[in-house]
Amino acid sequence: MKIVTMDPRKCVACGHCENACAFHRTGDYDHRNSAISVNHYPDKSACIPMTCVHCRKAWCMEVCPAAAISRSADTDAVLIDANRCIGCKMCMLACPFGAINFDTEKLTCFKCDLCGGNPKCVQHCFPGALEFESEEAVPLANRNQHDNRLAVMFGRENND
Amino acid sequence: MTEMSRNFSPVNTFCRMCDNHCAITVHRDVSGQISDIESYPDHPWNQGRICSKAGGAVEIVNHPDRLMRPLKKVGSGWKEIDLEQALDEIADRVGDLQSNYGPETMSVWKGEATSFNQQEDLAKRFCRALGTPNYLSVDSLCFCTREIGWSLVYGCWPKPDFRNSRCMILWGANPPAAHPPLTRQILKGRERGATLVVIDPRLSTIARQADIHVKPKPGTDGALAWGLAHQLIANDWYDKDFVKNYTVGFDKVAVYAKDFTPEAVEAQTGVPAQTVIKVAALMHQAGSRVAQYTGNGVEHYENGVNNTRAIAYLDALCGSFDMEGGSLQADGLGQQSLALYEEIPLQQLKRVDGEKFPVLHDFRQECNTMTALDAILTGDPYSLRGMIMTAANPVMTNPNSEKVRKALSALDLFVVRELFMTETAQLADYILPAATFLERTELYTYAAIQSVSMSTRVQSIPGVQDEYQFWHDIAHRMDFGEHFPWEDESVLNEWLLQSTDVDFKDLQNTSKAVQYQAIKHKKWQHRPLTTPSGKVEFASSYLVANGYEEVGEYKAPYYIRSPKPEYPFSLITGARNHLSYHSSYRGVGRFRAEVPGPQVEMHPDDADGSGITDGETVKLSSAIGSIEIPVKIVSRQEIIPGVLQATHGWKEANINVLTHDDILDPIDGFPVQKGVAVKVERIR
Ligand code: SF4
Repeated sequence: MKIVTMDPRKCVACGHCENACAFHRTGDYDHRNSAISVNHYPDKSACIPMTCVHCRKAWCMEVCPAAAISRSADTDAVLIDANRCIGCKMCMLACPFGAINFDTEKLTCFKCDLCGGNPKCVQHCFPGALEFESEEAVPLANRNQHDNRLAVMFGRENND
Repeated sequence: MTEMSRNFSPVNTFCRMCDNHCAITVHRDVSGQISDIESYPDHPWNQGRICSKAGGAVEIVNHPDRLMRPLKKVGSGWKEIDLEQALDEIADRVGDLQSNYGPETMSVWKGEATSFNQQEDLAKRFCRALGTPNYLSVDSLCFCTREIGWSLVYGCWPKPDFRNSRCMILWGANPPAAHPPLTRQILKGRERGATLVVIDPRLSTIARQADIHVKPKPGTDGALAWGLAHQLIANDWYDKDFVKNYTVGFDKVAVYAKDFTPEAVEAQTGVPAQTVIKVAALMHQAGSRVAQYTGNGVEHYENGVNNTRAIAYLDALCGSFDMEGGSLQADGLGQQSLALYEEIPLQQLKRVDGEKFPVLHDFRQECNTMTALDAILTGDPYSLRGMIMTAANPVMTNPNSEKVRKALSALDLFVVRELFMTETAQLADYILPAATFLERTELYTYAAIQSVSMSTRVQSIPGVQDEYQFWHDIAHRMDFGEHFPWEDESVLNEWLLQSTDVDFKDLQNTSKAVQYQAIKHKKWQHRPLTTPSGKVEFASSYLVANGYEEVGEYKAPYYIRSPKPEYPFSLITGARNHLSYHSSYRGVGRFRAEVPGPQVEMHPDDADGSGITDGETVKLSSAIGSIEIPVKIVSRQEIIPGVLQATHGWKEANINVLTHDDILDPIDGFPVQKGVAVKVERIR
């Protein structure tokens, strides 16, 4: 399956992903309405994006007493059905990444639904910290960056 | 699908919410209203990515406050009038003014809020056809310093090749806010092993990923650049072949650089001597793969051009000019020229800035706006009585806002083309509604990839003209319609391309790019540069002939040179937010989400020293003026102590009330809008 991968080595916490997600979901740029969130820690020089990684064994799905969480047949995304959600927040507690949010108006939980297969956050990520790619691509990307750095250290040309 | 909704199929075109022209797809709802904007996947410049300003265009285009009808000032209020009547009256009044006071009493001022690639040349063309040398623009305080500084050295402003670089150096530039597509190239370069050095007194967005964040005091970049030059020369780390064969004046630079030891640089800039040595060593290790980029942060000081020249020298010393991984001497498209420079040279007419800035005029054929505003008020060298302004907002963007307001109010005829009722438009005699980027077509070149694209008109609003149509209609009402012969801007675009190998049809109705020339490097080997000597100019005899320094000497900013104890802080203005473009989009609904209002950023130590708390409204004053503005205490890493930062464009707290129109860069007339000496007073 394809997920939104997040690379803190490229994130600058510009917030365009949060704007785009909030707008897609609710028509405004209020970051509280965004399913992706980016934290910036100036004193540690760190920018950390976080959105749902659509766990293969999703604890949120297992814990939900209302059976409101299911897996999409099309995209494999873990989805919350707002009509079934009772707003108990058990999924928020279960998610180890803090990737589930609470809508204080609708009084239901919400999370990333991969925009049906063309995630807005990725479209709006110029730095390339977010990519929509297959699970297998993750180790490859890490390996590639590591290799590039070594290649530069050795003074060779680095090709794609 | 119904017949109706089929008419409103998605349109591939280009975003112009800022000047990066990202390829987009525009969606419309069943009634034809623009409803959503997505990235277009297949353009080499934005590579399938956009920023969130693009989607915000939906709100700008459909906004209920948008100007849709011409307005005429009647007494202290406004009256809606018919477009044809407005154009008739404007043409008549321009004619009257010119016959009473001479052709040069008219001026045109080009802004950015509705900017497009042909805008500058069309405005210049109109000026020349009208017989006035007084073309003014927002470029008087944005972009020109960098363009001129680099061009004095290389004959062009070369484009950095971040992707293939080993060492990327950003001087006062924050691409995530100002040039989002560059962010992608920079992070790609870093992924491929390059080191990122960000030079900025603030922890800008891009500085969050810097390997080295260098924090000089505002306006001291020149000293830092000379310090790096000194390291490269003293350690024998410069490209001797290149310097010997392709440059002039190296000896003078070598002599001048001697004083800029790491310790001297530390004393001047506040950057530790060890950091200077480290950055120079990184440049050396990168060989010719050093890619530098200067942002608006190097401008707005009285030594901006020379500071930029000093930075530009580093490319030549590293041998990175027109090299892969360094910078590209980009070739232009070679489209037809619109500006009538040769056809109507107007040499005999005195310019309203009194020829005070010959270099600005030589490079840009434009007049300095600060001086032009003075001329309106003083009548010296003559009185400027008429102005047509295309979506500029100098009351918010030029220094000394109160004076700007006074000068523009003193005009006999002030016409403004705008999207919204801005602070500046309020001073006009006539306001004409302007087309947004989705209501016109524009030919755009991406110099860094030597490619061209053309945007598609997505919608038209009756009575809302695109800018070409406006110039055309006024010209045809006066007696120079022959200079605007093209029926509309699409015909004009076709004409522009006639001198190129690019086929108009290949650009029509697509978001694709056509590369007009493959990228080649080292062109200096067989082609002289366009500098007077044909070589890279460390020393400029042209500047000497105009009475300026031969090399890009460093001069400390005024707040350091002659410090005044009553103004202990140095204020930076003009930084970009992620959701605004210059002064535009402030206060438009959803754009408020990021920065809800004006604020001045302050280091925690400075706040502690004066007992100021976060969010407290203070009085901020310079020698020019004062405003009240809330304080935001940022984290220790985000700004250096003693320095404050506030963005411009907020009418509730217009920071340009404080900035200087009386201290200008002697070379190009840029005003001091950064490094402004200020004081902070508590109100309670
Ligand atoms: S960077 Fe953003 S605002 Fe600028 S052209 Fe691209 S999408 Fe539009």
